[in-house]
Amino acid sequence: MTLSFGEIIALILFCVGFYGLLARRNIIRTIISLGIIQVAIILFFLAINFESTMIPPIGVSDPSMVADPLPQALMITAIVIGVSVTAVALTMFISLYHRYGSTNWMKVKKKRRDES
Amino acid sequence: MMPLFLIVLFPIIMALFIYLSFNRLPKISMFMMQLIVLAMAVYFFIYTKENGTVIHVLGYYDQGIGIALKSDNIASVLVLLNAFLFTCMILFNYHKPYMNRLFLFLFVILQGLMNGIFLANDMFTIYVLIELSTIVVSVLIMFKKDSQSIYDGMLYLLTNIVSMTLFLLGIAYMYKIFGSLDLDIIGQRMSLIENPRALILPYSLIITSIGLKSALMPLFSWLPRAHGTPSAPSIVSAILSGLYVKGGLYLFIRFQAIFSEQLDTTHIFLILGFMTAVIGFLFALSQTDIKLILAYSTVSQIGLIIFGLSLNHDYSYWGSIYHIVNHAIFKSVLFLTAGMIIETYETRDIRQITGVFKRMPFVSIITFMAILGITGAPLFNGSISKYLIQSDTSSRDLLEYGLILINLGTIMIFVKYGSMFRGDSHVKTAPVRLNQKLAILILGGFCLAGGIFGVQFIKLLFNINISVSLDGYVRKAIVYMISLIIGWFFYTYLYSKIGLFKKIREIELTFNQICFSIVLFFAGMFSYLLYII
Repeated sequence: MTLSFGEIIALILFCVGFYGLLARRNIIRTIISLGIIQVAIILFFLAINFESTMIPPIGVSDPSMVADPLPQALMITAIVIGVSVTAVALTMFISLYHRYGSTNWMKVKKKRRDES
Repeated sequence: MMPLFLIVLFPIIMALFIYLSFNRLPKISMFMMQLIVLAMAVYFFIYTKENGTVIHVLGYYDQGIGIALKSDNIASVLVLLNAFLFTCMILFNYHKPYMNRLFLFLFVILQGLMNGIFLANDMFTIYVLIELSTIVVSVLIMFKKDSQSIYDGMLYLLTNIVSMTLFLLGIAYMYKIFGSLDLDIIGQRMSLIENPRALILPYSLIITSIGLKSALMPLFSWLPRAHGTPSAPSIVSAILSGLYVKGGLYLFIRFQAIFSEQLDTTHIFLILGFMTAVIGFLFALSQTDIKLILAYSTVSQIGLIIFGLSLNHDYSYWGSIYHIVNHAIFKSVLFLTAGMIIETYETRDIRQITGVFKRMPFVSIITFMAILGITGAPLFNGSISKYLIQSDTSSRDLLEYGLILINLGTIMIFVKYGSMFRGDSHVKTAPVRLNQKLAILILGGFCLAGGIFGVQFIKLLFNINISVSLDGYVRKAIVYMISLIIGWFFYTYLYSKIGLFKKIREIELTFNQICFSIVLFFAGMFSYLLYII
């Protein structure tokens, strides 16, 4: 399976995002890393079977020249989901911060354990 | 024929309608609506049973272009089970003060989304529905807004979103390879793939996220957090543990069915299922919080189901699917009664609860029925499904011993769980409310009926004829009695001397460690597949 330039960039971004999830203990950075991963996946979808000579699927045109419209339609939904998920995560983080006063996963976990 | 999407959309739209129209009686209208959903589920079940698999494409496009909903004999049973359990849950919680419009709104929406997950035949639709239900579930977990449940809800949300990003990348790869997202079309085109190595990467990505959803071995640490969180309403715990986690298992069944033609992974899942079951019961034994005991026992049962599904035999396959149904019923009974016990005693610590039988006799009897079901006692529903799972292993000794060990673990958990029923109590408690009594009586009754009429139930639900031989069943009953005695001896004499359990209780992964376990699972699955193919 060969990968196009866009797909390679997307996979690199995906790995960058995952590195953020693995190595950063800050909750805000976790949410930002999730944002990076979402962008990477959107780029990957759009880069599937894409060539630079393709035109947007609008109006009457030669079907063989048109970029695949399905991933584009799907990615609009994925963007909406990404935004709402980020919003929910941030909202939850605000109330978490009010309770525990920390942005660090380790400290929050320790405080949660001391409570029970 | 009513269109299939109604069963997905009707609860959601009605929930929204009841939430927005400033109705004075949200509970009664929601309950009526729930009865309609139950009737619809029964209708779809009967229709599917008579006419075979129903496929309905939204917008009347060809399949593969529009979003397809598919109701086959497993999906229709799960939808029916879903409607039935939600009806019981709303009945059970009818009098609770926190059952306000917002709670009912979220709770009923979850039902619609789960119906969607069971019926959707399109990978992107599955992704959207799971992502939405993750948000709804995390809000439900932290509904009472106490600080522990906020942490648990947050952890649940982020872990599941991370796993779903892997799923989305996986379906991007699938689209790149197959040019379609429809599961049926992918299934048809699967035989055209010349080089199965091309499928390894998408398969590992998808199966990692499904593994997390269904709480497989290294990925289960979110489950007890979410299902056993101290302040979550007991009906939410019951639905999550009884049914929601089965969404993951159902996806496991569907995706395994598609990929099995090219990638044979039954061996690795046999091992993973076994390890999940064993580690699940070790964790459950070490807990002292009764909700956490039940949550970890779910992990153990899921391991058993995955094990049964990977045995590659008809009887064990249908036995596992019947066990999914059974587990949903007895685990919801256990969570509901645990919630009532916690309310009465105002503690979750099993060491401080004694004399439940004296204080709450009715609740105790129903709990015993569920315990007999989950441990596979003869005449109860668990015994039939466990018998079927085991029926193929008689020729393969090691597997049979494995299953006996798993069941022994389950028995030990519930010997421990049952210890709180002993003892004396002089406090008089108020009698159980009628609606709660009715709800747990119906569910508990199904534990017994599912055992006595097990063969007929399987015929009715899945159109499969099975036969349960008397000697095999008696032999299993003897094994059960022996394991019960061993379990009892172990708990009374050995349990307190083993220090290991205390150490296990302290184990708790942080978010970064959970992410690490996801990467580990993915890397392990990826390299294993590269090695064998």
